[in-house]
Amino acid sequence: MTQADHVTLESRDLTKTYYSTDPPTQVLNGIDLSVREGEFLVVMGASGSGKSTLLYSVSGMDRPTGGSVLLEGRDLTSLSDKEASRVRLTTMGFVFQQAFFLNNLNIRDNILLPALKAAPKEKDAAIARVDALLERFGIAHVKQHGITQVSGGQLQRASICRALACEPSVLFADEPTGALNSSMSAEVMDALTDVHRAGTTVVMVTHDPACAARGDRVIYLRDGLLVDTRELGTWSEDEAGRREDDLFAWLRKKGF
Amino acid sequence: MNKRESLYLRYASNDLIKNKGVNTALIVILVLSAFLMATGAMVMERLIGSVDQLFDEAQPPHFLQMHKGDYDPDALERFAAEHPEIDAWLVEEMLGFDGAAIAWDRPETDESGDLADSLIDNLFVTQNREFDFLIDESGAIPEPSRGEVYVPVAYKQQFELRAGDELQVKTDSGTLDLRVEGFVRDSQMASSLSSATRFLISEDDFEELERSGGGAPEIIVEYLLTDAALIPDFQRAYESDESLPKNGQAVTYQMIRIINAFSDGLVAVALVFLSLLLIAIALLNARFVIRGKLEDEVREIGAMKAIGLPDKSIARLYLAKYSVMTLLACIVGGLLAVVATNLLTRGVQVNYAEAPVGAATVLVPVIGLALVYLFVIAICRRVLGRVRKIQVVNAMVHGSTLSDRQTARRAKRQARRVRRSGLASFRGRSVNGRLALLDIRADARQWILIPVVFFLVAVLITLPMNLLSTFESPRFVTYMGAPESDIRADLQFSEHVDRLRTEVLSDMREDDRLTDVRAFSNLLYEIEGEEGLETLRVEVGDYSGDTVEYLRGEPPESGQIALSVLNADKYGVSTGEEITVSLGGEATPVVVSGVYQDVTSGGHTAKMQGEVATDAAGYVIYADTVDGTDAAAVADDYGERFPAAAVIPMREYVQQTLSYVTGAFLSAAVLSLIFGIGVAVLITSLFLKLRLTSERRKMGTMSAIGFSTGEIITQVRLKTLVAVAVGTLAGVVFAATAGESLVGAFISLAGLGIADLSFIPNPLLVYAAYPLILIAAGYLGAVTLTAGLRGADKSSWLRG
Repeated sequence: MTQADHVTLESRDLTKTYYSTDPPTQVLNGIDLSVREGEFLVVMGASGSGKSTLLYSVSGMDRPTGGSVLLEGRDLTSLSDKEASRVRLTTMGFVFQQAFFLNNLNIRDNILLPALKAAPKEKDAAIARVDALLERFGIAHVKQHGITQVSGGQLQRASICRALACEPSVLFADEPTGALNSSMSAEVMDALTDVHRAGTTVVMVTHDPACAARGDRVIYLRDGLLVDTRELGTWSEDEAGRREDDLFAWLRKKGF
Repeated sequence: MNKRESLYLRYASNDLIKNKGVNTALIVILVLSAFLMATGAMVMERLIGSVDQLFDEAQPPHFLQMHKGDYDPDALERFAAEHPEIDAWLVEEMLGFDGAAIAWDRPETDESGDLADSLIDNLFVTQNREFDFLIDESGAIPEPSRGEVYVPVAYKQQFELRAGDELQVKTDSGTLDLRVEGFVRDSQMASSLSSATRFLISEDDFEELERSGGGAPEIIVEYLLTDAALIPDFQRAYESDESLPKNGQAVTYQMIRIINAFSDGLVAVALVFLSLLLIAIALLNARFVIRGKLEDEVREIGAMKAIGLPDKSIARLYLAKYSVMTLLACIVGGLLAVVATNLLTRGVQVNYAEAPVGAATVLVPVIGLALVYLFVIAICRRVLGRVRKIQVVNAMVHGSTLSDRQTARRAKRQARRVRRSGLASFRGRSVNGRLALLDIRADARQWILIPVVFFLVAVLITLPMNLLSTFESPRFVTYMGAPESDIRADLQFSEHVDRLRTEVLSDMREDDRLTDVRAFSNLLYEIEGEEGLETLRVEVGDYSGDTVEYLRGEPPESGQIALSVLNADKYGVSTGEEITVSLGGEATPVVVSGVYQDVTSGGHTAKMQGEVATDAAGYVIYADTVDGTDAAAVADDYGERFPAAAVIPMREYVQQTLSYVTGAFLSAAVLSLIFGIGVAVLITSLFLKLRLTSERRKMGTMSAIGFSTGEIITQVRLKTLVAVAVGTLAGVVFAATAGESLVGAFISLAGLGIADLSFIPNPLLVYAAYPLILIAAGYLGAVTLTAGLRGADKSSWLRG
């Protein structure tokens, strides 16, 4: 098995049912999924198909109703809340549609928080790492700003910085461009592509085919079932147009 | 009901059902507020009604003077003839018997006992003819036949006496047998603060008791005036007439009323005070809940505004719910108050009279409740005024209740704050602790509710307890104008009182069990008052090494006098000034050496240095016991050897004298502790419930970046603990400092004779146990509420 074939994250017969509704709603219906190390996997599907639920279930944020999730062979569903939190802190990063930040911390402190939490004794190293990230994603000049003082694109890039603060092996992104205009979207997708190129596995939920075209592989969900997969190969800017057309055609066939 | 009103009500009822937890907590607090307010109002109304009713039936005198020993009837006749303002007057003859000399038995069951546990004077009298009647339980004026006795109604409960019981009075020449015919209410001596009580017998039996000996004869000279407004002038006239009998206490109509109303009235005032505090808490809460609700539903409000609903209608939609809740709370609180009032006024109804039910009976509590309702609604209306300021775009797009300008201001404030947040420069290890503190600082405007509530609750539970421990403390005698000592012997005026003093004093001085025996004599001096001569009760004795606490100045030395606060105020003198007092026509100038507090003799007393062994109106002897001696046993011993002397341990003296007041304080302390803790837990839970709802996204974010649910819970609990502890400690400090002055001012206003109250707290209880209990209660609320966070899907927090 080559390194590219090494499965880093895997779900087996994953189900999730919400019992708070009457009747109960089954959102995931036996999902088998393997994410390869260093892969950029995109999850697509219509609204309510279970995309975000899949992302939160495989990341350990939510407990699935049935099935299992393996990260590097370790079953996340059998971990305690504390253990699962530690796994999220040290090996996962999250970017959401809305940039959820703690509003009583400035941009840098928000990014620093997970790093400090993970290794309180190595604060200087964490600060250096965070400052480097801020430089890398072009937001060093706003690091002392409050979260209401920066643009949506800057905030989402700060979100990516925070996700990378602990050097995770997997980065989860849930509609990261959903609340942004097209130029800001491009900024954020460039940043995510950059992260992926640096070797981080990315799992992204999106409904935007242009964003999805950045992925190595696209899976399609319908009513909680994984109905199809499309391998796109490695993204390059030169082939962007062709990949997007190809993906559009595929999605149209799915009724997207 | 028109369609619009039914829409408002439907919205209100749907919301009440949907947000059960929050609404229930708010309703409970509103019910408690309404309940306490209505109960306080009703108890006051009933109490005043009962006292009035008894006064109507019994017609107490406007002025009375107690006296023991010989007196000149002609002087009284002359005085009456000279004063046309006297409508009627009488001299009531009484025979006092010790409780131990009165036994009872019940022939049908062979039960028996005596009244030895009664520590007050038992006076046998006949029914008066013109006024000051003793009234039976049906409100009639009974006339006992020979062999019949009417017993004070308080004894019916205390000794479980019944009509038909036999009563034996032990006299010097045998026993007088009487049959209990009924029970009487006494307008003069109904109060639990009264030091005497009256038994009604026939004139034949009275004469027989008098002949048989063993009773201490005493008289009350009573006057009914044509106008109650003339009482002060009349009292001055009486006191300045040397020929009139006056070696006992003088009591006016107002004093009788105050004494009657004070004991039970205090509870009613405490209830209203408690209710006001709770209303304050309820209002703070309602404000917090409404603001939270507006923030939660800002998008809906924006939509309503967008489709053209006027602000007033939107506000009314929300107000409907609070109107329904407050109305419901007032109704439930009012109904509960009816039950509580019946329980609380049972004693009052028995001792005084059944208060007639009139318009005021209904109106007084209804007005109280209406005020609660109007006040709560007014505040809700004010908070809902924010609806007007909500802007459609900000509401619908940003979910913000703020206007552009407010948003900009808040952003600026936030920016200033976060620049200093300094997680990077933070030196400690506990990220959770640091985040909790930053959070509490950033959201101080919301969190302030908890410290404020705990501050109020801490004050609420600490003050009554401090008052109770102060009044119960043996050191409290220093407020009563008495020195700190272990035993007190009271020798009241009788024919042989001088001999009794000599005997008791010499026995005590020779007793190995006692040390530091000091005798004081009560002399009735005269002093020039505003309108002529007045009587001044002076305790003469040795004040060197006096332990009475002086507000100003020092104990008197020879040629000096110390005055009680009320006397110093009355005569407008302060330390160092000279006044002239006279005894037996001989005027003596004396310098005021000091001013002390006194609650005995209506607070009007004085002290002079010297020794007077004869012709005093009474004597008091204080003594300390040597280590290891039981003061109660020594007191019992002297009590048996000298039946005419009242010898009791000081602690018991304080307890007896203040038993009803301390009883009221104890009830207040227990009630406020229960209510306080309950309210504290309730508010903490309610606050956290709302807070956790509005902090869902923040919790979701933290969960995503790797904080475990346990850590998130720890942060919430830590924040609660900080807020609770800050409020509690501030409350305790306030209660110990400003609270003392506040209560002192209140007590001083009550005219008890205490001008400057220093708490004698039980430090372990109020400064350690109480704060800990309160903090634990708040923390318990946080533990209960946050426990529900475990097991939740964190993504649901992020979805809002």
